[in-house]
Amino acid sequence: MVPLEHVIGLSGLLFVIGTIGALTRRNLIVILMSIELMLNAANLAFVGFARAWGQHDGHIFVLMVIVVAACEVAVGLGIVVALFRNRESVNVEDVSLLKW
Amino acid sequence: MIDPPVIDLSAIAPIGSVTLGAIAVLLAEVFLTRRRRVLGREMSASYIAATLVVLSTIALAIAAYTAMAGFASGASIGFLADVPGVRLDRFSSFAIALISLAAMLSCWLSLKYLAEVEIDHGEFYALLLLSTAGMMVLVAATDFLMLFLGLELMSIPIYVLAGFDRRNLRSNESALKYFLVGSFASGLLLYGIALVYGVTGTLDFAAVRAALPPGNPLALVGIGLLIIGFAFKVSAVPFHQWTPDVYEGAPVAVTAYMSVTVKLAAFAALLRVVVGAFGDVLASLQDVFWMLSLLTILVGNVMATIQTNVKRLLAYSSVAHAGYLLMGFATGTAESYSAVLFYLLGYAFMNLGAFAVLVSLSTGGKDCERIEDLAGLARSRPGLAALLTLFAISLAGIPGTVGFTAKFFLFKASVDAGLIGLTIVAVFGSLVSVFYYLRLPVLMYMHEPGAAKLRPEAATLELLVLGLCAAAVVLLGLFPIEGPSWLGLSTLRALDWARTSAQFLF
Repeated sequence: MVPLEHVIGLSGLLFVIGTIGALTRRNLIVILMSIELMLNAANLAFVGFARAWGQHDGHIFVLMVIVVAACEVAVGLGIVVALFRNRESVNVEDVSLLKW
Repeated sequence: MIDPPVIDLSAIAPIGSVTLGAIAVLLAEVFLTRRRRVLGREMSASYIAATLVVLSTIALAIAAYTAMAGFASGASIGFLADVPGVRLDRFSSFAIALISLAAMLSCWLSLKYLAEVEIDHGEFYALLLLSTAGMMVLVAATDFLMLFLGLELMSIPIYVLAGFDRRNLRSNESALKYFLVGSFASGLLLYGIALVYGVTGTLDFAAVRAALPPGNPLALVGIGLLIIGFAFKVSAVPFHQWTPDVYEGAPVAVTAYMSVTVKLAAFAALLRVVVGAFGDVLASLQDVFWMLSLLTILVGNVMATIQTNVKRLLAYSSVAHAGYLLMGFATGTAESYSAVLFYLLGYAFMNLGAFAVLVSLSTGGKDCERIEDLAGLARSRPGLAALLTLFAISLAGIPGTVGFTAKFFLFKASVDAGLIGLTIVAVFGSLVSVFYYLRLPVLMYMHEPGAAKLRPEAATLELLVLGLCAAAVVLLGLFPIEGPSWLGLSTLRALDWARTSAQFLF
């Protein structure tokens, strides 16, 4: 049996990697993937905690998060495609009409 | 054998009616555009759009009516018997009624505008209704699962709405920025919920409150992440940078909708979470809110002074208003929470009114958004200029308008609780805000008209929205004079509603 500390440690590590990726990367698709990594880190934490507490709330939460994440990606990729059609780029630095 | 759960559908009546409305709108759009003949008569595109607005209005009116009836009865109905999940009590009824009203006004505001910009697709109303349903789930949620689902159901349609003018690069950019920031914030919020769940072993607000061990580092990190997630949603400094960009790029009817309703829903939900789930660690949270509020008031007001775009100006003004609202959280008394609810009520009308003026001036070519576009408006459109002046002085908080009474109750609650320093900063911030809000009337009344191309006349529905907002702004701001009682709306009456709703938080 994997101890809870390992699960939470891994989840925390994934979350930090996701956060840093979302903040520092410049490619839209990579940013999207980093955000997914953050959500999945939370999922892992939910599963670990649910097992430690011996109840199912966390498991149900994970199922819901998976659905929500799928919707979010669908909309996100849609927005990226709409932008790509008009601008031929997926680099966030090219997206800078609006500032100050 | 698993027993079927005992559910009470009346707890989700408003949410259900709005969701069904969204489905009805989608179906009606498909059928009406497929065969354009109804009862033997040709239907033009504007009739189809009007039908969809009527459907949305009916759905939102039913939601508002059920919420108001729930408020009047004072009952507290949970969706599930043991762990409610979603609860319709006076607090959520108040917020739901207000949200459906604001959404209804936004629907009316969009009809003509969408046709002008040639983005009058039926999905618009369906997305607007779905996002409204999400806000209702958000404010009625009593556990973290429903809170997260409500937040996402609110946000995802708004990402699409912000990019609704999809041939317009600025609309694309607005949607993209909102999406990236919004989903990043949900990620933080979700991890915060996971940590709180890990410490307490439950998702229900009341149970979390009972089980939360004081000073547990994991719980503190969790609560911190949750607060940051919410700070992004309500655009509190330093998590506000997306607000002006998104407000500027989105079609102005969408900006009107989201600037009002998202703020309403997010603040109402934050009240529920902070008081319901973290009520016992509230004292240490108040310092966090104190800091957030101070920064938000200062940065919002100072940045607004240098704007040359009305949408951006209103965006920074909405940041500043978020700062005033956060004062209520920093104070943390029953009185300050009811002042926050009253402020949200007033803010909804004055902000929607200000955007409604911009919407009714926008043409297909471009939104009325540069500040010079308004120059000399008093000469060409005296009525609209007068209304925009009314909304601007209300946002600035000048007596005789709801902006003043709302700030008065909020500041009074803070002073009573001893937050003198923060209140002084807030009053100073309001003074600065008078400078940038009054630039609008000065331009409209004292400058020559420019070459700006504005829509020559406003649609009837837009005038209706403007009239309703103006009436509410004045009636709620007459304090201490009482308006005529047959109108049913006065400052003290609304404050009384806010007070009775706030009692249900504890």
